Amino acid sequence: MLSREADSMFWIGRYIERVEATARIVDVQYHSELEGAFPTAHDNSVTGALWGPILAISGDADRFAKEFGSDQSERNVLHFFTCDLANPNAIAACISRARENGRGVREMLSSEMYECLNIFYLDVTKWTVDKILASSPHSYFNGVKNACHLFRGITDRTMPTDEARRFLECGMYLERAEKTARILDVKYHILLERGNDDGFPLDQHQWTAVLKSVGAFEAFRKAHRFGITPAKVVSYLVLNPDFPSSICYAIRRAERALRSIGGSTNGVPVNRAERLISRLMSDLTFLTTEDILEEGLHPFLETVQSRCNEIGNAISEAYLRY
Amino acid sequence: MNVPLVTEQGVDLSPMSLFDKYTLDGFYDEMFEQPNVPRSCYKSLHATLAALGPDDFEQRAQMAENYMVNQGITFTVYGAEEGLEKTMPVDLVPRIITYDEWEGIEKGLIQRIRALNLFLEDIYHDQNILKDGIVPRDLVVNGKHFRREFLGAKVPKDLYVHICGTDLVRDDKGDYYILEDNLRSPSGVSYVLQNRLLMTRIFPQLFRENRVLAVDHYCSQLLSNLRYLSPRQIDDPVVVLLTPGEFNSAYFEHAFIAQQMGIDLVQGSDLYTENNIVWMKTTRGPQRVDVIYRRIDDDFLDPLTFRPDSSLGVPGLLNVYRSGNVALANAVGTGIADDKVIYAYVPAIIKYYLDEDALLPNVPTFLSAEPAQRDHILKNLDKLVVKSANEAGGYGMLMGPQSTKAQQDEFAEKIKADPRNFIAQPLVQISRAPAFVPSARGFEGRHIDLRPYILVGEEISIIPGGLTRVALQKGSYVVNSSQGGGSKDTWVLARNSNTNGQTNGSIDVEDLRMQSNKQVKQRPIEGDKSQQE
Repeated sequence: MLSREADSMFWIGRYIERVEATARIVDVQYHSELEGAFPTAHDNSVTGALWGPILAISGDADRFAKEFGSDQSERNVLHFFTCDLANPNAIAACISRARENGRGVREMLSSEMYECLNIFYLDVTKWTVDKILASSPHSYFNGVKNACHLFRGITDRTMPTDEARRFLECGMYLERAEKTARILDVKYHILLERGNDDGFPLDQHQWTAVLKSVGAFEAFRKAHRFGITPAKVVSYLVLNPDFPSSICYAIRRAERALRSIGGSTNGVPVNRAERLISRLMSDLTFLTTEDILEEGLHPFLETVQSRCNEIGNAISEAYLRY
Repeated sequence: MNVPLVTEQGVDLSPMSLFDKYTLDGFYDEMFEQPNVPRSCYKSLHATLAALGPDDFEQRAQMAENYMVNQGITFTVYGAEEGLEKTMPVDLVPRIITYDEWEGIEKGLIQRIRALNLFLEDIYHDQNILKDGIVPRDLVVNGKHFRREFLGAKVPKDLYVHICGTDLVRDDKGDYYILEDNLRSPSGVSYVLQNRLLMTRIFPQLFRENRVLAVDHYCSQLLSNLRYLSPRQIDDPVVVLLTPGEFNSAYFEHAFIAQQMGIDLVQGSDLYTENNIVWMKTTRGPQRVDVIYRRIDDDFLDPLTFRPDSSLGVPGLLNVYRSGNVALANAVGTGIADDKVIYAYVPAIIKYYLDEDALLPNVPTFLSAEPAQRDHILKNLDKLVVKSANEAGGYGMLMGPQSTKAQQDEFAEKIKADPRNFIAQPLVQISRAPAFVPSARGFEGRHIDLRPYILVGEEISIIPGGLTRVALQKGSYVVNSSQGGGSKDTWVLARNSNTNGQTNGSIDVEDLRMQSNKQVKQRPIEGDKSQQE
């Protein structure tokens, strides 16, 4: 396939995943505020503590500050993550770029996939932050999540598992692994800093929020009936081979897609991208939670993120650049 | 059985019929031979539509609009609001052509394209037609789209035009005239295919009541024609569609056709040339390209040969082309034959190469390059339609009868300054067909034309019908989408459709296929299956 088109497929996958992650994170944060231990006054010192972590997860704190200064009001933050086209990571901006990429590879996508992407775009661009606030933020975020599910479902049902689809999957799963790593990193950091001063219930609430923001709460509960501990959450979201938003699972899927593109039949990697991703996969397979906590969760998660980045670059070198 | 909609006494017009306020206004009307009397081929359609109310019709129109928007069948409007995407309006009243009428059109178009291909081959090689003085040499060699760089260049199979869209109109007597040929990269065929898809979804019952010839084999025919051009004699030549990119107004069409043919949709930056070969940048390394269906004008194809400032094309492409290592469809330099001045000579061109009279007439045309004709044009600017030789899309035109004195003066100056570049024609009172007008909550007559798509490969084939464009603005004669035009599904009825539209017994699928796939060399002969009931 054309390199340009492979690149576009990769990015469509990334953007869809990014949009879903953003919708989940902001949704959970917004609602955990409503029943959380934080006072919900519109007092900036408090809301700063509330929204700061999300801005950190998306890596957009600086951009936000440039646009809004220190005014982390609910309205500003919601706008920033949903409809703000000046923020390239906002939901509307990502969908718009996913669709732009989709237009460039229209003949590769099934008509149903393109229609889904297009309707998604047309819907999302109809919203404003005031509309979101006036109706229900949850239904907005739910709509966004469902559109992502629909796109993946249509892809699964109408697109052959060929090279183009593999590039889409690579983008999707690499993005997912990175996002889980970031959420965990930021939240863990904050929770550790705060120590146990705020008492157990708040922590419980916060860890629940972490699990919910990657859609893992219910599954986690089934696996660990004896309560939520930081180590268990880490173990579940980093090393669990079966849950779709764990880093291990996502990297395994990305590895499988990448290996399928490379086509090597004897297991020997054919390029640097494959070597890097298989090495990461091997770490995720053989490390234990204790190993990770001993090394320090933060440095570990940071390495995971930078390794994901490097894998992205290596893919581009191997297939996309001329 | 369908519920009969036609009564013994004629059509039962409910008080809210969409045809209530319909008038003919002295024009040739496609549907009606007299007020309230539909032509026989339209009887069934008319009856079905007359039974609908405005709300029902409007709702279906909305369904059509939603489909187009959701599928992204839109073009971007420049200059207006940023990123404004508009659909090309589809009018849901189909246009009908009878089988016999279509046969005549088809014969005329095949004759015309054969002659034009011979003409192009001639003017880029021996130039006999110029030597014999049939077409003035200076009109050809000084034409804007004449490519002297390609004199003597051999093109695959000696074919220049592989895809042609020829515009026809009907005058006030219902006779067909050729209005212009589009021999560069005619667009609109995706609308033919989409309009049909839409109509079968929105008005399925109409297709049970009328036997309409299929059009959906266009893309497979095109692909096999393109493969036929491959310079390499291999089983599976690499064919690509070259688009200027997603910001081009016809981008949807490019993507759609590429998708339907299952070929790569490439942009200039996806290709490069090396060792006199065109390569495509793929994830598996460079891949050789054999045939390029290009939807980029000559000027932008290769910055080394034509416009150096163009980044849409592929540097070095034309050298590869000249060496015969890649085929382009259409060939370079075809634009000279759809120059509006050369148009006037097409009947003579047909006579010269085929020794036949043109089956489909031209609209009478005055050339301002000829002093006597120029005087006539200048004296009659208020009655004539003046066109500049190389503009498309309804631009660069003066509609005399509807123009102001100031506009006429402006054109007079232009004509005097550059007589080579203008022609004039009497205003043809082109035919009208009913179109839905939301503000009137009913049908009104609107002017239409017809653009059939002609494919030239080993044989010449034309999908039945083509694109009917409709000038949706009241009184307007300009059907171009850039000027507020829309389109209609165009039906060519199977030969043995009977006149009230109810089909007799079962439809013979093979029979229909024979008729719609008909090509020159496969023309059914007398007693052939397609003529049997």
